Amino acid sequence: MLKRFRDLLWLAGKDYRNEWQMSFFSVLALAAVLGPMLILFGLKFGIVSGMLDKLVQNPANREIRNTRSAHFTRAWFAEMARRPDVAFVIPRTRRIAATVQLRSRQASRFVPAELLPTAPGDPLLPAGMPLPSDVNEVVLSDSAARRLNVGAGDVVEASVVRQYRGEKERVHLPLKVLAVAPPAAFARDGGFVTLDLLEAIEDFRDGIRVDRFGWVGEPPPATRYYPGFRLYARRLRDVAGLRAALIDAGIEVHTRARDIDIVQSIDRNLTTLFWIVAAIGLVGYTLSLSASLWSHVDRKRRELSILRLVGFRTGDIVRYPMIQAAYTGLLGWALAVAIYAGVAGTINRLMAPQMEPGQRVCHLLPGHLLLALLLTLAAAITAAALAGYRAARIEPAEGLREL
Amino acid sequence: MNATAPQTDPNGQRVLIYHLRDVVKRYGAAGNDFRLRVPSLQIALGEKIALIGESGCGKSTLLDMLAFLSSPSEAAAFRFRPEAGAPPLDIAKHWRRHAQNALGELRKQQIGYVMQTGGLLPYLNVRQNLTLSRRLLNMYDDSTVDELARHLGIHRHLDKLPHQLSTGERQRVAIGRALAHHPAIVIADEPTASLDPLNAKRIMALFMELVDSMNITVIVASHAWRHVKELGLRRLSLQVEHDENDGVSETVVTG
Repeated sequence: MLKRFRDLLWLAGKDYRNEWQMSFFSVLALAAVLGPMLILFGLKFGIVSGMLDKLVQNPANREIRNTRSAHFTRAWFAEMARRPDVAFVIPRTRRIAATVQLRSRQASRFVPAELLPTAPGDPLLPAGMPLPSDVNEVVLSDSAARRLNVGAGDVVEASVVRQYRGEKERVHLPLKVLAVAPPAAFARDGGFVTLDLLEAIEDFRDGIRVDRFGWVGEPPPATRYYPGFRLYARRLRDVAGLRAALIDAGIEVHTRARDIDIVQSIDRNLTTLFWIVAAIGLVGYTLSLSASLWSHVDRKRRELSILRLVGFRTGDIVRYPMIQAAYTGLLGWALAVAIYAGVAGTINRLMAPQMEPGQRVCHLLPGHLLLALLLTLAAAITAAALAGYRAARIEPAEGLREL
Repeated sequence: MNATAPQTDPNGQRVLIYHLRDVVKRYGAAGNDFRLRVPSLQIALGEKIALIGESGCGKSTLLDMLAFLSSPSEAAAFRFRPEAGAPPLDIAKHWRRHAQNALGELRKQQIGYVMQTGGLLPYLNVRQNLTLSRRLLNMYDDSTVDELARHLGIHRHLDKLPHQLSTGERQRVAIGRALAHHPAIVIADEPTASLDPLNAKRIMALFMELVDSMNITVIVASHAWRHVKELGLRRLSLQVEHDENDGVSETVVTG
């Protein structure tokens, strides 16, 4: 069985090489269809995935903010954190209460800074960056660190003022700078601190007693409410669903869903467009190959009859043109990939000055090329099956005596 | 030239490679029907047969049936026994069961076929054409092919493609291809008809010499007895008759 197939491969290959002009042109014809398709898809994939990468890389696109302050409980946050589409959620204290004055020994001025609650997994901070785990630690925004002229390891001092029982009261908190966040994380002056610290500052402002720091005041209320949150969806496509869930729950939120929608609809439309072009090309190619193989069988009647005569079976005769079509498919694909590689390389070189490093306008994954190969082989073999079926119907005796 | 003595089985009986009784093949378009009838045909292993009949009388049809290339329309008996030691095979039954692949296998092993022209694969060189059947049968590459090529005078052309040869040379290769795998029988359909008389005579003589030396049964079709009568063949004739009853042209095989 295997031996017979090997014999068939050998004969079909010999025949294919002997008729190299015909084979060559069928390979060219295939590459002429497939090559531009690969380039087109490469451009679509490169451009759209570049846009998507930008969206994905910027966590702000996954952020969901509430636009009106509300009363969220710890239980609500625990519930949100359990959702699979939530990557990170942490309560916010009131914005006014979260603003402090920072000062350092290295700079003479006070820098007003907004403190943000953070915890492990904060999407704004790069993985591996040391995060505050205690109330005396901070990760400064790039801008704040610059203005305070400090870096990791330095100590800054935060001061907070309140009106308490008619008197102005100020407390000072030394904060150790663990790291400086990248500029993209937070563009203004600010610092990432523990939620505990933010709660303490809010309580201090509200005239509530904070035992940890020895600040006097009223006893704390039984339940703590948070006016807002820092919430990030796990993936871009989770944003829409999460947004809908929050709106359903009566929470007004703001997302960058529109930006995401735009890119995603560009992706969808381009993909549709590409598949329309690809389908036209593929069908056209299959039909023309089918026609040429069909007439090829006429020229091959005698030879196919001889194969019958020496004992090849009906199935072998059907497979014969299929094998040759597979040769064409394989070679045509290889040529198309070479054309694609050349053109894509040129496009990428020309566009390099406009692109970020490592980003390519025209780009395909190995899986795409493999898919192209499989589709091509499927089309070629389907086209040949018809011809093979016709070849198999030639009576062995019939083809022998034609001149 | 001596006719090879037909082989006999242990009981001294002639071994019949072909045994046909009341085999009929109908063919042709409606209103222009032909019928080939074989009341009885017995060919012994080792015999050399000349099938004589005019062009278009059904010689090729009979040969195709004998090569299992086309099916009989009716057959009281159609048996094939390629080896003295083995029981005869019921070819009619194979056809009834549509066992084309089994017949193909049998043809591959036991039958060599020489056509009037061609019969070579244009994309294989002479050596590859000669060894095609041997290759498909996984036969060991011994000196058979080289000897055959020397006998046939084509050993200088072994690496050439068929289109580089003359018609006569191509026919020699075709004969070599049909013999190379030592089939039980070689069927030749006017193998020299496309050659000039001198060449035809020489190649036919060479062909008979080879089947003699290899002890292969042979059936050669020819349109004229005078082409083969000196070669020691048994004559089978095809006679065309017109059946007045049903208006069908009928060819009857006798001899």
